[in-house]
Amino acid sequence: MSLPRLTRSRLAVVVALVAAGALLSGCGVMQPPEAVTSQGSEVRSLYEFVFAIAVGVFVLVEGLIIFAVIRYRRKPTDTELPPQIHGNNVLEIIWTVVPAIIVAVMFLFSYSALQKVQATTPTDIQIRAVAAQFQWQFDYLSADGQTVLFQQLAPEMEVPAGKTVHLQLKANDVIHAFYVPKFLFKRDVVPGVNNSFDFMVDAADAGQTFSGQCAELCGTYHGSMLFTVKALSPADYDSWLAAQIAKARETPPPAPSGGAGQVQLDIAAKDIQFSTAALEAPADKPFTIKFQNNDASITHNVAIKDSAGQEIFKGEIFAGVDVRVYPIPALKTGAYVFECSVHPNMTGSLTVK
Amino acid sequence: MATTALTPAATGARAGLYDWLTTTDHKKIGILYLVNSLLMFFVGGVLALVVRAQLAVPALVHYGFAAPGFKIVDEAFYNQAFTIHASLMLFLFIIPILAGFGNYIVPLMIGAPDMAFPRINALSFWMLPLAGLLIMTGFLVGGAAAAGWTSYSPLAQAKYSGTGEDLWIVGVILIGTSSILGSINFLVTIFKMRAPGMTMFRMPIMVWTMLVTSTLVLMATPVLTSALIMLFIDRNYGGHFFNPATGGSAILWQNVFWFYSHPAVYIMVLPAMGIVSEILPVFSRKPLFGYKAFVFATAAIGALGFSVWAHHMFTTGQVALGFFSFMTFLIAIPTGVKMFNWTATMYRGQLSFATPMLFALGFLTMFLIGGINGAFSAAVPVDFALHDTYWVVAHLHYVLFGGSVFGVFAGIYYWFPKMFGRKLGEGLGKIQFVIMFIGFNLTFFPMHILGLDGMPRRIANYSPDAGWSDLNMLATIGGFTIAMSMLPFLWNVFTTLRNGEPAGDDPWEGNTLEWATSSPPPPYNFDRLPEIRSERPVFDARHGLVGGGH
Repeated sequence: MSLPRLTRSRLAVVVALVAAGALLSGCGVMQPPEAVTSQGSEVRSLYEFVFAIAVGVFVLVEGLIIFAVIRYRRKPTDTELPPQIHGNNVLEIIWTVVPAIIVAVMFLFSYSALQKVQATTPTDIQIRAVAAQFQWQFDYLSADGQTVLFQQLAPEMEVPAGKTVHLQLKANDVIHAFYVPKFLFKRDVVPGVNNSFDFMVDAADAGQTFSGQCAELCGTYHGSMLFTVKALSPADYDSWLAAQIAKARETPPPAPSGGAGQVQLDIAAKDIQFSTAALEAPADKPFTIKFQNNDASITHNVAIKDSAGQEIFKGEIFAGVDVRVYPIPALKTGAYVFECSVHPNMTGSLTVK
Repeated sequence: MATTALTPAATGARAGLYDWLTTTDHKKIGILYLVNSLLMFFVGGVLALVVRAQLAVPALVHYGFAAPGFKIVDEAFYNQAFTIHASLMLFLFIIPILAGFGNYIVPLMIGAPDMAFPRINALSFWMLPLAGLLIMTGFLVGGAAAAGWTSYSPLAQAKYSGTGEDLWIVGVILIGTSSILGSINFLVTIFKMRAPGMTMFRMPIMVWTMLVTSTLVLMATPVLTSALIMLFIDRNYGGHFFNPATGGSAILWQNVFWFYSHPAVYIMVLPAMGIVSEILPVFSRKPLFGYKAFVFATAAIGALGFSVWAHHMFTTGQVALGFFSFMTFLIAIPTGVKMFNWTATMYRGQLSFATPMLFALGFLTMFLIGGINGAFSAAVPVDFALHDTYWVVAHLHYVLFGGSVFGVFAGIYYWFPKMFGRKLGEGLGKIQFVIMFIGFNLTFFPMHILGLDGMPRRIANYSPDAGWSDLNMLATIGGFTIAMSMLPFLWNVFTTLRNGEPAGDDPWEGNTLEWATSSPPPPYNFDRLPEIRSERPVFDARHGLVGGGH
């Protein structure tokens, strides 16, 4: 059942064209995001180098296989055995030595990139990411990396763009991994191990927010361990940090007493979920939310955002099992969203009318 | 003289069942391995569909077909599903089904009447269904193991994981013991039971791969088994091996676990390479190109396989990055040698495309991708980006599904006529191949891009706005397509066993000794053996290349 010669070569052309098209479109999408750190840029250019070699090897070998399959199909005229070639030592040496040279070059490139990615520089910006089931917390440390200036309980890390940040990693229970896709980097957060690394967000990326999440299976709600990294200009960062430290030193305000006649909404959290997906509140009147956190040692809070995503209220983050009563300012009629600042996938709707 | 009255033989089905339960015939044990492994493959496959279905949910929410918060399974069950999926697929499908092929085919290929230790052979097999039941019993006692098949400590410690984890540990210890016994059996069989004339360098490549695989099992599996016992002690008897909370080391577990589990990757792929190395020459009507180079490459992969385990641990920051990166790059060389030898085997051949050959070509083309996308992780900084993302899920499935599973189906279609005397239908076989090939690429290729985009593994949920919806939807459609490809396969097996085309002794014009006996072979395997003067004794006999001929 052999195809005529012409058809066969046409077939080969079609196969080659389809393959080339698929490959080109594949190359376009098979790129990591633009890195936003100088270390990430090293990783990205190394990726591009490895990718170029990979495509070359892929096209060569896959091409040889497809060529052999099309060219050497058995024909009805093939009654005699083909030449019984048992091997060729020259070829064996060639396809041992040439790949050996290629991988040696790849190793050298990746090793030199590794030195740059792993390099550390002395810096005053010392932050500690603390991971626990299932939340991130960021401790801002003194310049020597010893004293905690304040603890950011929300899973949000502010960093100055254009400056090297030294990030220590601490795990409170199981292994987690600090992963920011746009850094093109992750590092495991291992209990009993003092891991740390340096990174510098490009100055041009000030004002941007990058998403990150835990990348090492850490238990049931592993997928909920999200955080964000906010790059600020150095000046904004300094004032932000000063404000946070000042706030942390203030004595906490007295617990609000639910005023008589005020509406109180009840909501609880259990298993990284709110007990309800919809709340209703009266318009133009302050009210309170009584929030019961039933997740032992897991932190939650209730924050309220308007329909544009602007945060209007952010309740204190605290670990369960415990309860807080949040005083909410008067809100205008409309649709709002409430969520947990620690677990952004815990969310629901708040209707004010 | 007293005589012993023989109990009359039981009749019909009961005799058949009793025979299968008590057999020590390597061929029946081999078939038992295959059947048990395929059952585990289907259970593991269903669990994969659970995972894929759940990962389609955020996409459905994104498209507006499902309400936010909708779940097919909750997070706890999701973690059990992917943990047990991987455990069944690796420990109870790929490793044992390849051991099953080895069991059936190695004694035949070397002209032996059976394995060296037939009773130990039966024992090795019967531990497996028991281990499978133990592992799956977890679902009935408050949740199966959910710490991933890697079972990292401290997550696998008693504080964080329940009874299912203990059942999993005991199950995997049983599997490990079964593997160790099996590997000794293979080694002794291969070294001591070869027919006259069957020198080491005349052994079929399949036998060589089983030899290297068994060596790996013998050297690596005791390490895993010991580590599992230590973890069991940690969990139940107050041990402190792997628990940092009590002074142990979480990294130690990863070292011992991967010291086994990286060689295990070769345990899972070398015999599949062996299968492909038998099939390509037969359907190209040429000898394997570079037989000795191939043997040395196999041995080199086996040896280097022990020096690369920590490339699974680059992001821990606790291993010698340069050394393990270098060794990992190095292992690409012997793998490349094999790739080129397979391709050269087809060069100037006369290729025919029966189903075994199609699956072998599927192995070649897909395993190539699994080799290439693995090189990215050898470059340590790139691994920092890709580790524990869907890129790695893509990589490992291109190796273990695109490689091993395609190799397994190549082997099933190739040796089914020998095992049952009937040829599986070619039409259904080709339909299965096409659906499986498309489904496989649809499932796993998009995962490269998901990984680059930053989607971590082992998450039950992602934001519908994360931009991962379309590719996950594709992967889910692909997953169900793979499942569909099993229907023509099962129908093919069912109809062939009932009234398939009789195969004859040598339906493919094979090269190796199993084709010199009847299909299926008699219990003692051979009435007479052809002369063995090369690695292709049956080819030599067919073409009158040895004295006397037939």
